[in-house]
Amino acid sequence: ISGVAIYTGMETKMALNYQAKSQKRSAVEKSMNVFLIVYLCILISKALINTVLKYVWQSEPFRDEPWYNQKTEPERKRNLFLRAFTDFLAFMVLFNYIIPVSMYVTVEMQKFLGSYFLTWDEEMFDEDTGEGPLVNTSDLNEELGQIEYVFTDKTGTLTENNMEFVECCIEGHVYVPHVICNGQILHDCTGIDMIDSSPGGSGKEREELFFRALCLCHTVQVKDDDSVDGLKKNQLSRRSCIYISSSPDEVALVEGIQRLGYTYLRLKDNFMEILNRENNIEKFELLEVLSFDSVRRRMSVIVKSSAGDIFLFCKGADSSIFPRVKEGKIEQIRSRVERNAVEGLRTLCVAYKKLTAEEYSNAQKLLQNAKLALQDREKKLAEVYEKIERDFILLGATAVEDRLQEKAADTIEALQKAGIKVWVLTGDKMETAAATCYACKLFRRNTQILELTTKKIEEQSLHDVLFDLSKTVLRHSGSLTRDTFSGLSTDMQDYGLIIDGAALSLIMKPRQDGSSGNYRELFLEICRNCSAVLCCRMAPLQKAQIVKLIKLSKEHPITLAIGDGANDVSMILEAHVGIGIIGKEGRQAARNSDYAIPKFKHLKKMLLVHGHFYYVRISELVQYFFYKNVCFIFPQFLYQFFCGFSQQTLYDTAYLTLYNISFTSLPILLYGLMEQHVSADTLKREPSLYRDVAKNALLRWRAFIYWTFLGVFDAVVFFFGAYLLFDNTIVTSNGQMFGNWTFGTLVFTVLVFTVTLKLALDTHYWTWINHFMIWGSLIFYIIFSLLWGGIIWPFLNYQRMYYVFMQMLSSGPAWLGIILLITVSLLPDVLKKVLCRQLWPTATERIQNASRHCREHISEFTPLACLKSPGYRSSDCSNSPARRSNSHSKKTMFTHWKGVDYSVLPSVFGYSNKPCRSSAGYRFSGSGLETSV
Amino acid sequence: MAVNYSAKEEADGHPSGGVGVPGGGAVGGSGGAVKTRKPDNTAFKQQRLPAWQPILTAGTVLPAFFIIGLIFIPIGIGIFVTSNNIREYEIDYTGTEPSSPCNKCLNVSWDSTPPCTCTINFTLEHSFESNVFMYYGLSNFYQNHRRYVKSRDDSQLNGDNSSLLNPSKECEPYRTNEDKPIAPCGAIANSMFNDTLELYRIDNETRVLVPLIKKGIAWWTDKNVKFRNPTGDGNNLTALFQGTTKPVNWPKPVYMLDSEPDNNGFINEDFIVWMRTAALPTFRKLYRLIERKNNLQPTLQAGKYSLDITYNYPVHSFDGRKRMILSTISWMGGKNPFLGIAYITVGSICFFLGVVLLIIHHKYGNRNTSADIPN
Repeated sequence: ISGVAIYTGMETKMALNYQAKSQKRSAVEKSMNVFLIVYLCILISKALINTVLKYVWQSEPFRDEPWYNQKTEPERKRNLFLRAFTDFLAFMVLFNYIIPVSMYVTVEMQKFLGSYFLTWDEEMFDEDTGEGPLVNTSDLNEELGQIEYVFTDKTGTLTENNMEFVECCIEGHVYVPHVICNGQILHDCTGIDMIDSSPGGSGKEREELFFRALCLCHTVQVKDDDSVDGLKKNQLSRRSCIYISSSPDEVALVEGIQRLGYTYLRLKDNFMEILNRENNIEKFELLEVLSFDSVRRRMSVIVKSSAGDIFLFCKGADSSIFPRVKEGKIEQIRSRVERNAVEGLRTLCVAYKKLTAEEYSNAQKLLQNAKLALQDREKKLAEVYEKIERDFILLGATAVEDRLQEKAADTIEALQKAGIKVWVLTGDKMETAAATCYACKLFRRNTQILELTTKKIEEQSLHDVLFDLSKTVLRHSGSLTRDTFSGLSTDMQDYGLIIDGAALSLIMKPRQDGSSGNYRELFLEICRNCSAVLCCRMAPLQKAQIVKLIKLSKEHPITLAIGDGANDVSMILEAHVGIGIIGKEGRQAARNSDYAIPKFKHLKKMLLVHGHFYYVRISELVQYFFYKNVCFIFPQFLYQFFCGFSQQTLYDTAYLTLYNISFTSLPILLYGLMEQHVSADTLKREPSLYRDVAKNALLRWRAFIYWTFLGVFDAVVFFFGAYLLFDNTIVTSNGQMFGNWTFGTLVFTVLVFTVTLKLALDTHYWTWINHFMIWGSLIFYIIFSLLWGGIIWPFLNYQRMYYVFMQMLSSGPAWLGIILLITVSLLPDVLKKVLCRQLWPTATERIQNASRHCREHISEFTPLACLKSPGYRSSDCSNSPARRSNSHSKKTMFTHWKGVDYSVLPSVFGYSNKPCRSSAGYRFSGSGLETSV
Repeated sequence: MAVNYSAKEEADGHPSGGVGVPGGGAVGGSGGAVKTRKPDNTAFKQQRLPAWQPILTAGTVLPAFFIIGLIFIPIGIGIFVTSNNIREYEIDYTGTEPSSPCNKCLNVSWDSTPPCTCTINFTLEHSFESNVFMYYGLSNFYQNHRRYVKSRDDSQLNGDNSSLLNPSKECEPYRTNEDKPIAPCGAIANSMFNDTLELYRIDNETRVLVPLIKKGIAWWTDKNVKFRNPTGDGNNLTALFQGTTKPVNWPKPVYMLDSEPDNNGFINEDFIVWMRTAALPTFRKLYRLIERKNNLQPTLQAGKYSLDITYNYPVHSFDGRKRMILSTISWMGGKNPFLGIAYITVGSICFFLGVVLLIIHHKYGNRNTSADIPN
């Protein structure tokens, strides 16, 4: 044999679970693009309007070509349509600044530089592992502030994936290794605590078999510390070797058994060597390995002892072992296993059977055939496994503890308060997973658990189960429309849903009669009303499926998937934001993720603080960019009406070029990096503030239109203010007149100041850098203008700006006009801000006010109190009409189903986690309740 | 029940973030030394720079509104009063109405000889006390048309000899005439205003010429820096402009604009004033100054005056109008009611808003603060 290829290509598990990485775009980017299209339409319509008006206006020849302004011969001869088209293009060029090209550059810079703050964050650095957060893509920074669903893996993410052998139960007797050593190999622990008295006779034999089974039935590899004289050293110090396995459970088991006296030494020439309690080395020939897979959920080995007996040891999940057991103390073990599972321990059952040589040769033959099969190999193998692995004798069960990550519960609680729904997706069995969920406060004591499991589906049909569940959920939430903050009010009944992989695949499976949509919808409806969902027994691809299901549901929520293992990669790739934990199970997840963090607890700061900041920063940045370009270009547009639609620019070329590059770019970039509208500590302390920015609140159409209109208003003020100032009057004290460039410079000066001061008004966090940038860019503008107009520039073929700025500054009315126009254009925005803050403050604004007061008089405050006050409102988010139509569609959907209690209807008006509530929303839900009763 | 991938090994060997991770590489020197990966605890990196955190609340904005109101209203009143004290007199001498003395000149063309003249009598009700500025105004004249604005050659006007003989392409179609370069080239220069206005005071049926000063009407920098005559041997402008031709519409070449050498050629002030293109289609340009002679008499007494116009400039073809304006000037320029009214209005609005905010602040402010600070 010159080479063997084992598990390569597309048939490997890795490849099968692999998903093509699709490009991820953030919600902000999407709305940015939509806004851009709007502006493109505005640009084109502006150019069209001006072109049409130009030709209407020019229809009289004395306007088209007055005696003082003749065209050249070629111009005159040009075709009318060609001329019109050229004019159209010229207008496009003139107005093209309304499309903020520089915005894309700034946004990219903001994202790239901003992501450094994440990696620099000391609090997100993990001392133990020496790892800090990693940013693999900076495109999704702001998406971290928009998360509505968190899908988290359990093992290694919520829990430490630091397996620790807790106990084993042999024939109903419980053994506990008496030193809890956190999975580390301790050198002097050989003792065993036996809760029950030592069993006699057959019990003893079973016990030894059990230990041997655990020692043999695994795929652990031994790595010697010192490979030269490894064996010797091993014998002397007994344990200087390291166990390596793809599954930490196995390592924990082998190490646990080691502490109970049986040490697995190595696999040599197909012989497994075991050091037993009497320090003798036992050798077993490894005949077959029936490897683990997630469908069977068990693995087996066939070994031949030195005595010649052939054993089949099997280890696996209780649900896959118990049906195959024919003898053993099933009841006692089962109860123990269940107890352990409830405590959140990972349990495995161990069973064996003795094979005669004949049986073995049969089995071997079958295996051989199956392995060599060219078609349906997997299916055949599974069949063979099914045949071989039965009629077991139950030996016992093991329990391995996977400890919760530090502050996992705290993090989950905070996320739920922030209005984020947390789903746990795990491959573990239901009981174990549920226990972990209780431990990390995903489920609380008063959470009513709904189960959608294979067991239940076997009893009733899927249809009935789903309807029952939806009825419970919807009826209840129907009577609780008023209550909206599931995370905050403890008196509210909330639901937790548990679903397993099999049930999920039933739901996802397309029906023959084409009614599959209904199940999905119904399932989503149930999920929407549950505060927490646990999906257990999930295959990696199923995890991605779930994420996709939620992602594509009709609200299009923003999802985040977090996981640490290779099995989470597909869901990490599927979700809007994928987060990898730099954990024990390799770097697969961290490398495929968008962001990687060392611990689950860091998710809290990442979302609530960094995400929130990033979102607030970039949304202001985007809106501001559109705003400042409207302010910039709209006066040009207006000027066309006064210059015969001749595409005459209002501003000098230098100003046109530098406006976006130097005069107004740095302050907003800095805002995009530094702004903290609320302090980071407050954001962390008050997760509910996250709801204020949920659902892309700052980039809604309302906000966009507000900013655009503000821009248009300001532009009108600039232009007509200057117009009225200049129109047919003298504005100098020496009687001399100003020309068109002075006019444009005046407008431009007002523009630069207004736009910069507008940003200054929006800045809530003035560090010295902000001061430097904002005042610096204004000073730069002045210095530049002085310089630009102060010299006859030899390389220019026009000197139109010569002394224009200085002359303007020497005129009193120009100063007065500039001050007046700046004041007038800033006034409405200030007024809007103050009034909104005073009359309809958002939670964020309340906190800001409160912390202000707090700074003034030193007093404790509990911001939670203010959140409960009924006037709670999120800025610009009261889109009750949209929600209304939503509700109606649901209503019609409901009426189609017969047998549904009509009283469930009110529920549709109040899903538990509405991120923004307006007073209008309240009123509406109230009326909805009345009509249905 | 973790999955059996052998992904484990990957964890070793890579000192983290080496896999093309933009963030990772940059942190802590990226040299691979694992210990230095811990981020620095600086205020900047931890986003904890000391900062001033202002919040716009009714409380903080209130004083600002009142202050703006209190400052703007007096300024506005001041401007308004100043503006009202300014004397301004305007005559439209286009002559479109048949009754107008200039009606006969309405259809003049550039080359009409002898030039058409007309006289308009008017009466000043009030005397003009301080220096008076005489303007001509044009309406419907698009000096800001793009084709017009760019139709000039600044280096030619700056005295550059090569541009003088080879003007910029922008000047087309007023660049050359009969194969000779035009100086000054371009549409602006070509269409220079060339009416002559003379003002007479009618004192007991006798016409007394009011002396008009033609210097000091252009920006100092324009006259002394931006506009320069071509340089060469001697000061003979005729020689310096050798090889160029006059603009098509001009009756005389540029070196014959004025008799005084420091007001002739490109540095002729009437020419410079005209070359500064106006912002809007209705504009006025400074024509002459009338200085106050002594402190006893006003510059222009109330009484009868007559304006003699040499009507050369045709505006009827494009529906334009021509005006003559006499105005006094204060520190804030000529008559402009807009600024004063705007200041008063904005000041009043601010004051009013201040009052509204005060009410709101009192009515709603207490509720908010009490909700925020439960003590």
